[in-house]
Amino acid sequence: MYARRVENGFERPRPVTIDVDGETVTAYPGESIACALLAAGWRAFRRTKTGALRAPFCNMGVCFECVVAVDGVEDLRACLLPVRSGMTIVTGVGRRG
Amino acid sequence: MAIVGAGPAGLAAAVMLARHGIDVSVVDEQERPGGQIYRRPPASFGPVAGREPAAGSRLIEAAEAADEVNWLQGTTAWGVFYDEEDPDRLILGTVDLGRVRQVRARRLLLAPGAYDLPVAFPGWTLPGVMAVGGLQAFLKAQRLLVGRRIALIGAHPLLLVVAGQLLSAGADLGLVAFAQKRPSVVELARRFGARRGAIARAGDVIGPLRLLRERGVPLRFGTSIVAAEGAGVVERVIVGAVDAAWERDRSAELSMEVDTVALGYGFVPSTELARQAGCAYRWNPAAGGWVVAHDAWMATSDTRIFVAGEITGISGAEQSKEEGTLAAVGILRDLGRLSNSEAIRLARRVRRSVSRLESFNRALEAQFAPNLYALADLASDATIVCRCEEVTAGALRATLELHPHLGTLDAVKLLIRVGMGPCQGRFCQPAVAAIVARARGSSLNEVGPFAARAPVKPIRMRLVAAALGAADDE
Repeated sequence: MYARRVENGFERPRPVTIDVDGETVTAYPGESIACALLAAGWRAFRRTKTGALRAPFCNMGVCFECVVAVDGVEDLRACLLPVRSGMTIVTGVGRRG
Repeated sequence: MAIVGAGPAGLAAAVMLARHGIDVSVVDEQERPGGQIYRRPPASFGPVAGREPAAGSRLIEAAEAADEVNWLQGTTAWGVFYDEEDPDRLILGTVDLGRVRQVRARRLLLAPGAYDLPVAFPGWTLPGVMAVGGLQAFLKAQRLLVGRRIALIGAHPLLLVVAGQLLSAGADLGLVAFAQKRPSVVELARRFGARRGAIARAGDVIGPLRLLRERGVPLRFGTSIVAAEGAGVVERVIVGAVDAAWERDRSAELSMEVDTVALGYGFVPSTELARQAGCAYRWNPAAGGWVVAHDAWMATSDTRIFVAGEITGISGAEQSKEEGTLAAVGILRDLGRLSNSEAIRLARRVRRSVSRLESFNRALEAQFAPNLYALADLASDATIVCRCEEVTAGALRATLELHPHLGTLDAVKLLIRVGMGPCQGRFCQPAVAAIVARARGSSLNEVGPFAARAPVKPIRMRLVAAALGAADDE
């Protein structure tokens, strides 16, 4: 899923870095983890038991398609959690899916 | 007091309760109060000078200013339980970032809102297919534009609102398609224009219609989603002609290269927590399907539990706010904080407003009501209906053929695990219900919803075990 941040309209805070699947990613504190991952080029967030790629669908906490591990806590919904500096995220998919 | 949901209904109730000195805990999954309709960018994003205040900002400010309100944002409510030590209290199980807690409350208001109606069609599990509400929330709350080229497909006027927002943000829209024929959509658009805010979700659609024309975006009517295709992710969308009964004309299909498909066929009330708690519910297709029953004070069949907003039927922000206020008056009366006559006086104006909005909203939603059977027919045998457990429509149909006595959602769930995954059936229920009902010649009312059991949203059981006995009194 291609995505880009819209630059006009809001002043973003100073960017921070987070670790996603072992890569250093720049993100803005307060934006959702789902937003940060999509903007950084992750096209999917998880794989199903049969190996299919899945990405955010509802973006409001209902579908559980965007679950990732955050600082060691598994199955957290990336659409609901804000980015904090230095957090470690594991998608199990990788940037190139 | 505890409230689940910080949208218009929950916020209006919190303000009213706080005004009468009631301490209230508000449990909400989002990072900030506002719900979906008033979803805002992160607090860390600065405001832009000269911008007019966002919708709902007055209500949010009033609620945030109240000392009586204890905000439990970023927190999921996963179950309602009886307090064995105190029969007049309820325990709400919550979880945030893996921490399980208990919120004790004498009265509980459930205002969890609604979510986009999921539609199972070939390719809907591919990354790139989204709910239109989800796409809108990325733009509205994150300033993130998802998709190089987007197709918006469905039957609800929200599609036009989002089309306008996307175009204004510089998106490339390949197509906007409605299942309905042109006249009804345009007529309804006029009614929306005349009654702006009546369904705040939909808002004004006249501006977006003009913008679509200016930008030369194809706007098609009598057109349904057929499939999304691509190697691993969406590369193209197939749409096809449908008649007034949403019957497909398979000879009239077209393919378009897009990387994002957003679906907007309507909304489903979030009733699972109320149903898990044992509150009576009923089938009301014009209100979005299963809704929670309530009395004139918004109390459910369990008189300690009240409901407000879209859990009672899809009705938009204005009606939700009024219902929140009415529920708060009902709770204050029930707790003896308002005399019966004071409560009746306060409720009178609100009830008038609710009943006016209700009749308008029911007429409106009925006009846009999705044809759930036609949508379920989109699923080919190879199409996954239960995204979590990867159960196909073919497996479901074969099971129904093999076991002629199966007639409810719970029965098929036990056999083939549909609805048993993390989303707890929220996403497969519409398609599974329509497939079961069609196979049995019964109504959607008869096949029922999946039974709602705690935890209604998944949590690790070791966390529950660890939290037992450790109660946070509210």
